Amino acid sequence: MTDQIREQVSALLDGELASGEISLLVRRMERDAELRRAFGNYVLAGESLRAPGGLTASPAFAARVSAALEADGAAVAAPPVAVKHAPRRWMRPLAGAAVAAGAALAAVLFVPTGDEGAGLLADRTDVPSPITVASLPPGGSSPTPAQNQRLAGYLVAHGQYASAIGRRTAWSNALAADPGITRVAREIVERP
Amino acid sequence: MRRVLALAVAGVVALALPSAEAAGPTAREWLERMTESLATRDYDGLFTHTVGQQSETMRIVHRMEGGRSVERLVSLDGSGREIVRTPGEVHFYMPDRRVVLVEPRSDEGSLLKALPAPGPRLDSLYTLELRKGHRLLGRDVRVVDVRPRDEYRYGYRLWLDQKTAMPLRSEVVDGSGKTVEAIHFTQLKVGEGIDPRHLQPAVDTTGFQWIRAGRRAEPRVAGPPSASWLPRKMPPGFRLVVSRSQAVPGSPIPMQHLIFSDGFASVSVFIEPAPAKGPAPSESTTVGSANAFSTQMSGHVVTAVGEVPAATVRDIATSLAPVDAELPRTVTAPGPAER
Amino acid sequence: MANFPPSDGSIDGHELRDARERPASGVEQSDLELVRRVQRGERGAFDLLVLRYQHRVVKLVARLLRDPTEAEDVAQEAFVKAYRAISSFRGDSAFYTWLYRIAVNTARNTMASRQRRPLDYEADLSESEQSVVESRMRHGDTPEAAALSEEIHQTVNRAVEDLPEDLRTAIILREIEGLSYEEIAAAMDCPVGTVRSRIFRAREAIDRNLKPLLD
Repeated sequence: MTDQIREQVSALLDGELASGEISLLVRRMERDAELRRAFGNYVLAGESLRAPGGLTASPAFAARVSAALEADGAAVAAPPVAVKHAPRRWMRPLAGAAVAAGAALAAVLFVPTGDEGAGLLADRTDVPSPITVASLPPGGSSPTPAQNQRLAGYLVAHGQYASAIGRRTAWSNALAADPGITRVAREIVERP
Repeated sequence: MRRVLALAVAGVVALALPSAEAAGPTAREWLERMTESLATRDYDGLFTHTVGQQSETMRIVHRMEGGRSVERLVSLDGSGREIVRTPGEVHFYMPDRRVVLVEPRSDEGSLLKALPAPGPRLDSLYTLELRKGHRLLGRDVRVVDVRPRDEYRYGYRLWLDQKTAMPLRSEVVDGSGKTVEAIHFTQLKVGEGIDPRHLQPAVDTTGFQWIRAGRRAEPRVAGPPSASWLPRKMPPGFRLVVSRSQAVPGSPIPMQHLIFSDGFASVSVFIEPAPAKGPAPSESTTVGSANAFSTQMSGHVVTAVGEVPAATVRDIATSLAPVDAELPRTVTAPGPAER
Repeated sequence: MANFPPSDGSIDGHELRDARERPASGVEQSDLELVRRVQRGERGAFDLLVLRYQHRVVKLVARLLRDPTEAEDVAQEAFVKAYRAISSFRGDSAFYTWLYRIAVNTARNTMASRQRRPLDYEADLSESEQSVVESRMRHGDTPEAAALSEEIHQTVNRAVEDLPEDLRTAIILREIEGLSYEEIAAAMDCPVGTVRSRIFRAREAIDRNLKPLLD
C-alpha cells in the first residue's frame, strides 16, 4: 500500500495525478508526516538538480510556516463566498461597526431576508455574528474582511468628492485596505 | 450657516489671483497647475503607496475622452483590486471578495477640485511655501510645502514636475512634519497617447456579485443644508460644500452624504437610519492618512471619513445633530447628545 | 550534470518568462487544484504548496534582501501573506507567479522598514550584485546553510549517477527538461505508467540518500 500511495505523491508533484485522486491524497498527507516528508524530499531533489548549490529552505521551514498559520487561527483565509448554498439572511451589522459606507455598501448591511433587494446579498460566511462590546478586545483589534470591504467601498465614495490628490490617496487606501497589507487600527470609544 | 459658493467658481477665481510674490508663479499657482494637470492630462504611471512600513505598488491610468476623464487605479501587489472611473460610474473591483461595488459618478469633483480657495481663509489655515527640489525621474521639480496651522488638518509636500506640474511625489504630513502617507512615482508617462485598452479592468467578473448604489444621485451644492442634519460646532475652517442624498436599496429612507471642506481637505459624512438593534459604541478607524469615525445618534448612524486627523472626523461627526421642528436651531453649545 | 543549465532562472523575470513559454502545465493545473482546495478551507493543501515552493521563495528572498540570514523569516511571512490573500487568487496566472509577486513585495517592505524610508525605485538587483550575493552564499557567509546546500547537492548528484539508466533518464527529463509524463513516454518509447513508476523509483532512491542527511 505505501508504495502505491508514495507513487501518487510523486505524481502529484509532477501535476500528473488525476483530479479525483488529489483530494483524498491531500487529506492523507495532512495526517501523515512521512508522506509530507517524502514530498518535500522529492521537491528538494528537483531543485537541487536544477540549481546546484543554491540556497534551500531548512528542513524545519515548512513546519514553521504551518505552525505560524495555525497560530494565526481564525484570522486567516476566511473561506470565500463560494459556498454550496447561499441562504439569505438578515445581515446585522457588527455592533458599533455600522460604518455607513455609502449606499452601495449599505445594501450589504441592511437588506432584510426575502427582499428583492436581497439579490444583492450572498451568504457572507466571513461576517461574524453581531459582537457585543464586551467581547471585542479594546483597541487595535484587526477588522474583519467584511469591515474592510465596507471601509474600502466607503473610501471610494468619499474619494469622488476629494481633490485629485485626496482622491488618489483615498482610493489607494481603498485598494490596499486588506489585512496584512495596510494596518487598520480600531478603537472602541465609549460614548461619554 | 452662511452660504458657500461652489468651489468650481472659487477655482475659476483662484486662477485670476494676482500674485503677491515677485517673479514666477507662487506656491498656490503651482498647486492650481497641478490640479489642472491631474484633471486634464493623459498619463500612465506606476507608483508606490506607502503607509507606515507597508508599501504597495499601483498603476494609474488617466485619459480624457470627450471632455471627461476616465481613470483606472490598479493594485499590483497580489490582491488584483482596482477602481475604474468611467463617464457614468465608478466601479471598485474586489476579486478577493468576488464583488464589484458600483457608485454613480458624481460630477467630477468639479465642485470640489480643492483648488485652494482664495483669500484670507486658506491663509489662516495653511502656510504655503515653494522651493526648488532635486531632480526626480530625470525631471526638474519644484517642491510645494503646505503646512497646517493647527492640528485639525494634515499638510502636504508635493514634488511637482517643472514642465507639467504633475506630482511626481506627494506626501501627507502631520503637524510635526512627519510623513503619514507617501505616493512616489517610479514611472510616469505624461501626455503621450494612452491606449484606451489600458483603462479596461483586468478582472474577470464571472460569478461576481455586483452591488449597485441606488438610483443615480445628483449632488447639490450646499445651500441651506438639505434634510435634517446640521453641524452645531465644527473644527475651524470646515464648511459644508456638498449635500446629496442617495436611495438605499431595501429601505424607504435615503442616505445623506454631506461633504465638508476647508478649501483643501475634505471630509465626507454619511448619515443613515440605524439598524433595529440597540445602541452601539462609537468607533475610530484609520486607513493610511484617512480616518473614519462612526457614531450613533437619534436613531441614525453617522460616519465621517476624510484625510484629516482622527480628532477632526470625530469632531465633525459628533457636531451634527438632527434638526427637530420643535427644537430651536442653535449654533452655540451643543445640547445633551442623544443616544 | 554540470552541463545542464538551471531552468530556475537567476534573474528576476526570467522565471516568469519560462513559465509562460509552455502552455499551462500539469504542475500549474495541479497547483490550481490545490489552491481551490485551500480556498474551500483545506489547510493541508496549502502545506503542499509551501513544500513545493519553499526553496524557490527562500532563494528569491535571500537575493532581494542581499542577506541570506533573514531569508527564512521573510519567506515565512510571504507564505503567510499568500495564505491570507488566497481567496484573491483567480487562476489566470500561474500560482507561482502570484506567489512570486507577494514574496518580492514582502522582501521590499522588509528592506524599506529597515531603511526607514520607502524605496524610490524598483529595487531589483543588478546582475553584478546578484552574482556577489550568489558567491557569498556559495562560499559560506552563512556556513551552515551553504554547507548543507552543498551536501544536499552532492548527495543528490551521487544518487542520480548511481541510478539505472532508465530511471536516471526519466528523472532528468522530468526535473531538468520539464517534460510531461506523456512527452517523456514519447521520448523513451514506453507507456506513461512506466514513466510514472520510473520517476517515482528514482525519487525513492534519492530520498533514501537524503533522509539520513536531513533527519
